[in-house]
Amino acid sequence: MKPQEVCESALSICRRLGANDVVVSVTNNEESMVRFSNDQVTVVNSLDEVSANIFVCMGRRKAGINVLDLGVRGLEKACREAVAMASNTPESSLYAPLPHGPFDYDPELLKKATVPNGPDQAVHWAQEAIAAARKAGALRTAGSLVARNSIAHLATSGDVRGLAYRPSLELSIRAFGDGLASGHSLSVSADEAGFGPAEAGREAGELAKAAKDPVKGSPGKMDAVLGPMVFADIISQVGRFASAFYVDAGMSFLTGKIGMQVASENMELIEDATDPHAYGASPFDAEGLPTRRKAILEKGVLKTFLHNSATAEKFGTQSTANAGLIAPAPFCLQVGPGNVSAEKLISQIDRGIYVTNDWYLRYQNYATGDFSAIPRDAMFLIEDGRVVSSLKELRISDNVLKMLQRVKGLSKERKWIKWWEVGTPTLTPTALVSEVQFTASSQ
Amino acid sequence: MEDLLERAVQRARSHGASYAEARYQSDRNESILMKSGTPEATSVDTQRGISVRVLVNGALSFGATNVLGKRSLDSLVSKVVKGAFAAASARRTPIIMSPAEMVVADHMLKPRVSFENVPWESRLELLKDADSSALEAAERSGIKLPGRYISLDALTTERTILNSDGGRVHSVVPRVSMHVFLTALHSEKGTMQRIISRGESAGWEGVERWDLPSVFGRETKTLSKILRDAKPLKGGKMDVILGPEVVGLVSHESSGHPGEGDRILGREAAQAGETYLSKDSLGLKVGSDLVNVVDDPTIPHSFGYYLYDEEGVKARRRYLIKGGVINEFLHDRETAAEFGVTSNGSSRSVAYDREPIVRMANTFVEPGDHSLEEMLEDVRSGIYLKNFMEWNIDDRRYNQKYVGLEAYSIKDGELTSLVRNPVLEITTPGLWKAVDAVGDELEFSSAYCGKGDPMQGIPVGTGGPHLRLRGITMEGSS
Repeated sequence: MKPQEVCESALSICRRLGANDVVVSVTNNEESMVRFSNDQVTVVNSLDEVSANIFVCMGRRKAGINVLDLGVRGLEKACREAVAMASNTPESSLYAPLPHGPFDYDPELLKKATVPNGPDQAVHWAQEAIAAARKAGALRTAGSLVARNSIAHLATSGDVRGLAYRPSLELSIRAFGDGLASGHSLSVSADEAGFGPAEAGREAGELAKAAKDPVKGSPGKMDAVLGPMVFADIISQVGRFASAFYVDAGMSFLTGKIGMQVASENMELIEDATDPHAYGASPFDAEGLPTRRKAILEKGVLKTFLHNSATAEKFGTQSTANAGLIAPAPFCLQVGPGNVSAEKLISQIDRGIYVTNDWYLRYQNYATGDFSAIPRDAMFLIEDGRVVSSLKELRISDNVLKMLQRVKGLSKERKWIKWWEVGTPTLTPTALVSEVQFTASSQ
Repeated sequence: MEDLLERAVQRARSHGASYAEARYQSDRNESILMKSGTPEATSVDTQRGISVRVLVNGALSFGATNVLGKRSLDSLVSKVVKGAFAAASARRTPIIMSPAEMVVADHMLKPRVSFENVPWESRLELLKDADSSALEAAERSGIKLPGRYISLDALTTERTILNSDGGRVHSVVPRVSMHVFLTALHSEKGTMQRIISRGESAGWEGVERWDLPSVFGRETKTLSKILRDAKPLKGGKMDVILGPEVVGLVSHESSGHPGEGDRILGREAAQAGETYLSKDSLGLKVGSDLVNVVDDPTIPHSFGYYLYDEEGVKARRRYLIKGGVINEFLHDRETAAEFGVTSNGSSRSVAYDREPIVRMANTFVEPGDHSLEEMLEDVRSGIYLKNFMEWNIDDRRYNQKYVGLEAYSIKDGELTSLVRNPVLEITTPGLWKAVDAVGDELEFSSAYCGKGDPMQGIPVGTGGPHLRLRGITMEGSS
């Protein structure tokens, strides 16, 4: 059966079996991934997949199942299993009827769109990035490049019918210089026009070259300039834990803070899937509601959690069109820009540290936001407003909310970040954060 | 299914592949998610499909589809071979598969209690009992548990692997896995959190062995004690005893990962990172003579259990560190060829649509001859880190941090007061070289280890006995 037929047929069967709410989604995904290391392609991955999922409610009882056999009999069997599972599940504390459509979606977001995703093109782009990094001074490179075309079909018992094209291009490149010197850069885009593998390669190469001869940094509190990859890691934590599901589960440092000043006044954080050219854009959420732009932080004040219909019902508010059928989630995040250059931010620091990348962010306490993360790749000592030397082996051991409250400046240039460490596409500037706590191994 | 796989391998060979493998894999996951005592949803997720991996002109290419049938598979083979030609255009040195003895085997790990014989109602009832046990313990202890998140998974993985070198393996392995996140609240002392994981390669009997109501009650009681009684630690030099849960993580992060062959070669450099070790590090002294770290996929019931890897190589026990010396790296056939050795059966893949890469299985410190009491006896001033909440490690696996959760001060050989969030931040050789006593009881934990791109979270075991470290600089409470 074709995806639309699967959707209609599954809806009809589940309704016949007594389900009051039904969501059927079918996604076709076709992608090529090139992984490279030591300037050579290590493997080309090619995926061609169809996934179909059915979610049903029997009263307030919920269950989900994926469908493997998209033929008539296979679909009937899957629907019966989903309904039987829901019937045997106790009632959920989080329930609301699905939103009732039909809805009008932004025609710009519904347009058919694809990116070139064959292996030859993907290898060519990877080689472009590698060559640019080498030209900029890298001695070797590693990374991955994904070219993906995805088509999502959605149908719900709330008279929702949706079809969305979600193309994407992602490059992550790490360049290495002498010894432990390295730099990392990315290019992510929803279209070919916005994709810049050579530029990302050049930036990674330049960082690797500049990070030559790093020395062990000294622990302590210092002003820090956090490049877009680092600040996106922090911001994506805010997006993740703005989900009402995590707030309700006691796992969020944002619990109980609606209307409170949780960040400095220069912090604007928007969740917005409605920009048709943005990576992560979508006309509708998993319940079929049209997506919309909303502020999570406005002048540093927490304005909203992210909701689906069920969490909104429990919190006594409206869905923000961020369903997840179980847990709401951000599609993509944007931090408002500042009004100075990143260089100007560095020039404002007497003595501090410029961190270009980090990884392995882990919490000591999700409810308070105490965490640590490890700077990775190029990291520099700043003295008298200038980068003076390369550093290594420090750790940021701080608190998400306290860091957000100490944001003193943001750059006017912003960059889209999404990679291994930052799962939600995030558009972010470079940030100046005062008194960041750096720690280091003692022996 | 074997006919389809054989067809894929033959077609790949006829298209120019010097090596080809095809794998059918099905992963069925029956899952329950319970939040604060109420089930959010039950779900069944089955992912199944066929992958093909080929070596053409010294370049590797991998592809997968879940549209099963001859036409779809033929198309996949063509696409994968095309990918290999594209990859070959961007390689200077050819990839080679090291020679290996291929296995022909059929292995089924039979569950004592099949999942199909355990209705959803019974599973939910067990979780309800565990949740109630936690709530009762909280009430007795004068704290609240505002966040209680439990996921319980029953997984069945079936694989058929076939390759052009003669490997033929069919296996079925059931697994059970539980992940718990508890948030405890004291009106004056704030919050404290605990993540509890359990995992086994077994049927439902594995869950029954865990005795969840007791675990939930005990962990809640401990959280309440930490909240109420733990005192800040003043940093300084002292002796440290690490509990098995911490030692398991150290084994995994600071011995297993650094010794992965693909990481040493730089294949993971942009994602899971690099390593402080190099191809020449075999024989390097990184720990005291007492340190022996092993990775062993063949341990019955272990979460990282398998008998044959994804390349048709028989799994075996590997000594990663022996007597404090780097002894062996983890290899698949690709990395083994680069190192001039043979594969030690470390090739794993988490799903049909993920390429097989070098992975750990169950990584642990071998037990020694000290009881915990004997270790404590010789400590005048120190700290006992029984378990942890926060940890991380740099991408070379050299600098790591562990923040203790249940931790005690040691004075003159006795455990005294609870200590709040003590921080151990130390290098890998700094930690292994400070070991002067190894406990005699081995305990395992379970985890999902992340690596690769796309990310592959694979079941692993981590374990160890207690370890005593001398003269460690603790940073004090965070």
